[in-house]
Amino acid sequence: MSTRRAALGQALAAVPLVVWFALPLAPIVLWAVAAQWAWPAVLPQRWGLTGWREAGAAGLPSAMARSTLLGLAVACLATPLGAMAGRALGWRLTRHSGAASLVLLAPIAIPPFAVATGLDTLVLRARLPGSLAVVLVLSVFALPYTTYILRAAHTATDPDLELQARMLGAAPRYVLRSITIPVLRPALVTAAAMAFLVGWSDYVVTLVLGGGRLVTAPMLLASSASGTGNEPLVAAISVASILPLLAVVAGGVLVRRGRRAGRREVPA
Amino acid sequence: MTVPGGQRRGLVLLAPAVALTTMVTTAAVGSVLLTSVGLLPLFGPATASLQGFQAAAPDLRVASRESLLIATASTAVALVVGLTTALLLLRLAPRRRWVGAPLAAVLPVPHLVGAAAMGLLLSGGGMLSRVFGVEQSAWPELVGGPWPVAVVAEFAWKESAFVAVVVLASTSAALPDLSDAARMLGAGARQRLLRVTLPLAAPAAAAASLIVFLYTLGSYEVAWLLGRAYPEPLPVMAYRLYTSIDLAARPQAAATAVTAIGLSVIAAAATLPLIRRLGAAR
Repeated sequence: MSTRRAALGQALAAVPLVVWFALPLAPIVLWAVAAQWAWPAVLPQRWGLTGWREAGAAGLPSAMARSTLLGLAVACLATPLGAMAGRALGWRLTRHSGAASLVLLAPIAIPPFAVATGLDTLVLRARLPGSLAVVLVLSVFALPYTTYILRAAHTATDPDLELQARMLGAAPRYVLRSITIPVLRPALVTAAAMAFLVGWSDYVVTLVLGGGRLVTAPMLLASSASGTGNEPLVAAISVASILPLLAVVAGGVLVRRGRRAGRREVPA
Repeated sequence: MTVPGGQRRGLVLLAPAVALTTMVTTAAVGSVLLTSVGLLPLFGPATASLQGFQAAAPDLRVASRESLLIATASTAVALVVGLTTALLLLRLAPRRRWVGAPLAAVLPVPHLVGAAAMGLLLSGGGMLSRVFGVEQSAWPELVGGPWPVAVVAEFAWKESAFVAVVVLASTSAALPDLSDAARMLGAGARQRLLRVTLPLAAPAAAAASLIVFLYTLGSYEVAWLLGRAYPEPLPVMAYRLYTSIDLAARPQAAATAVTAIGLSVIAAAATLPLIRRLGAAR
């Protein structure tokens, strides 16, 4: 009886939690499928895909493609650099780990708008393409996360693993490809996902350094959200900006669960 | 490592990340500093002067206060809600862990999307005003009002998920065993919470709070979308001056950026020793 009461207490305590995290997403989900939703109705009076048609006309598909490319570029740069730095720091391959950590974590304490406005004129004078500058700056902001994740992963991995493979005659490249990378795969995936998100979510660095030509999904969202009376459009771009991410997160969870279940079926 | 040449190999591995970070941050911070004291003008001769700071001084004070208010309030709410969430999820039976799903959904949401969502939730005529049936004229000015309620709500909402995930990641492995041991030794629920769970969660919670504070202090888009024109926080003020048609406002914009960097560095330097001590005590 008392365990049942405890379970009930847990369930009741979870209600405000679910409301806190889920409620702010409710209006964009509803507006994204509303054709007409006048005050004071609590639910839309007519359902429809008005917002999606407007978003298509505003160039949402190509903006999402640009955002995807930007996220991938940041992940492709910040993940290997973070893995190399994480290897040196996690396996204590240098005496200078304190100074190196300080440098690599420093971007957390420097506001992105300050970096972007500071670099803007320098980038123009150096005739550097704006999108390259955006990728470089966002990679610097992703590096603290990728380095931290991969340092922890290296700390949890025995460096002798590589040594043993080498002693058994494996070439360095083979060891990296068949031993180290598979062992670190979960951390590499997490780090790459974090770096992708930095690129996918950015607004202010793209705004300042992209020079208005790099129109990503956040740029479209900002220009529509700062106006009034276009709730369906704002909601459609918002939902389009998070659905792919949720699909990836859910997919990752299912794959991991499947793998764990598969492992359990194999007799020890 | 005892491998010969290990020291040099370590430096080679660190070099690309350290070089890129150093290059971008020194170039950016150096350029902002020089611009703020008139040594990097867009055109004309460079003359050192504190005019940028002086011209912006009254607004800088108000904007700094607004930024610190937003960052402090957001961090406090995010810490309390995030920590409570983590502790609650840690106590839940495994088959009830699905209540953590909304938390996982909030984590990857871009702040700009969060800001748009908060606008549609909290503004007059927004979803909450419909649910409570309050006329637009009677609805409190949560968006763009005298207090940055919607701005803080967005940061607290997003960042509480971040705090919860960081705390969960750092405590979920060790907590069950330690908590069971404490129970065997006769510790009650309250004692276990105060003597085992909270000390175990403290280093991660403190580190996550510092990251949240620094992020909210330097974030532009949420306050730009949900705040009102005056008082504005430092990032919004800096970008407004930066894009002003009056090019003489550039040193003022840079002075605003220097102020934001200064506040962030002071906050980090002041709290890092505390976080280290918490980690060492663990």
